[in-house]
Amino acid sequence: MVRRIFLALVVAVVAGLAVFWWLTIPAAVSSDMLPAYTPNIANGLTTFNAGGCSSCHAVPNQPDRLKLGGGLAVPSPFGTFYVPNISPDMADGVGRWSEANFVTAVLKGTSPAGTHYFPAFPYASYQHARVEDIRDLFAYLKTLAPVSGRVRDHDVPFPFNIRRNVGIWKFLFMDGKPFVPDAGRSASWNRGAYLVNSLGHCAECHSPRNFLGGIISAQRFAGGPNPEGEGWVPNITQKGLADWSVKDFAYFLETGQTPDGDSAGGSMVRVIKNTSELPPGDRDAIAEYLKSLPPVDGPPRPPKKSAG
Amino acid sequence: MKRIVVIVGALVLGIGAVMAQQDAVKNAQTFMKGNGKNAGALAAMVKGEKPYDQATVDTALAQFEETAQKLPTLFPDSIKGLKADGDYSSSPKVWEDKAGFSEHITSFGKVVSEAKTQIKDLDSLKATFPGIGKQCGGCHETYRVKNS
Repeated sequence: MVRRIFLALVVAVVAGLAVFWWLTIPAAVSSDMLPAYTPNIANGLTTFNAGGCSSCHAVPNQPDRLKLGGGLAVPSPFGTFYVPNISPDMADGVGRWSEANFVTAVLKGTSPAGTHYFPAFPYASYQHARVEDIRDLFAYLKTLAPVSGRVRDHDVPFPFNIRRNVGIWKFLFMDGKPFVPDAGRSASWNRGAYLVNSLGHCAECHSPRNFLGGIISAQRFAGGPNPEGEGWVPNITQKGLADWSVKDFAYFLETGQTPDGDSAGGSMVRVIKNTSELPPGDRDAIAEYLKSLPPVDGPPRPPKKSAG
Repeated sequence: MKRIVVIVGALVLGIGAVMAQQDAVKNAQTFMKGNGKNAGALAAMVKGEKPYDQATVDTALAQFEETAQKLPTLFPDSIKGLKADGDYSSSPKVWEDKAGFSEHITSFGKVVSEAKTQIKDLDSLKATFPGIGKQCGGCHETYRVKNS
């Protein structure tokens, strides 16, 4: 009897491990899945700015946003991530990567070595991007100056440091669906929806997350505690920004100035550096889409601490 | 009796000090809000919501200039770590990185005094104003936190 229970347990554990293994196999795009294509470098630049790559990958504390040597520390409840070098450097950057490696990294969150990236890299949003945009982006990155220097390893404690577990996270929080335009809306609205939900990855900061670090989809864009530490990320649905006109949104994305004359602060300053470089039509499209977001209540703010 | 006087005196002084701190926080906040109001008035012209008005521009720039001059005194050590009412508080970095903070103030002052000579009509406002906004954002990126 004991033996039978033991055997059953062993079978269950092996089956469990097999399911875990199968669920967590890192997805990849192979080069034969990519049809012949001539990249459009101008669109690669737009993708670069819409994707906010420079916000995290630029070398911190220096003015050149195209110096993509990485190194920025990104604190999170799961540990501190150090942003990698994505300059075209042959040794330390993406210089030796194939196009398929790059597409896989951005759309699937899988490294060239076949391991999962941590979702601090916002591939849960990028997965919705058009593959052509990502191919253009790769071509654009190749035109930038290589920056040498390998960035240190992430400082992520057990059990979050087991990358295979990220496969479960992906299974839970990524749907793998490409962006589908809404035929009932204008082309501009759809462009905005695409930019916000894929490349722009706005929801990554402007949504509350559950204890596993997944976005609570019912409260998407409704703000929440700052995942990087102090403060609160604003609700950008019409619950929070009902008094902003479409023009106000566009102007904010261009200049960082809110309708009441206030300016963006914190990480949003880096975001504005990117959106201010976008073609005006893209900013207008984002504005049109954001203005259309239904009002959603965000998580309650903790009671205000008294001063002192 | 003496003891009571000392205790009461200490309490009064203590309360006075706390109130002075709160006043200092409020003072800094009032200045910033004034800047915001003026920046908003300029933005409304840039956006075409209001017609260009030189008097509004002059008022705004004068207030920005005053802010630039007063900024070094607006955040005394006594208010470090105090939370302001409303949306924002100052980050402890204001006091931890005084050199960086004062660099931002100098840069803001420089941009404002240049703007005073440059802004004469809607076109020059459109060309110059984003530069001022960048100064606001450049400092708020590091030295201001949103209250939670």
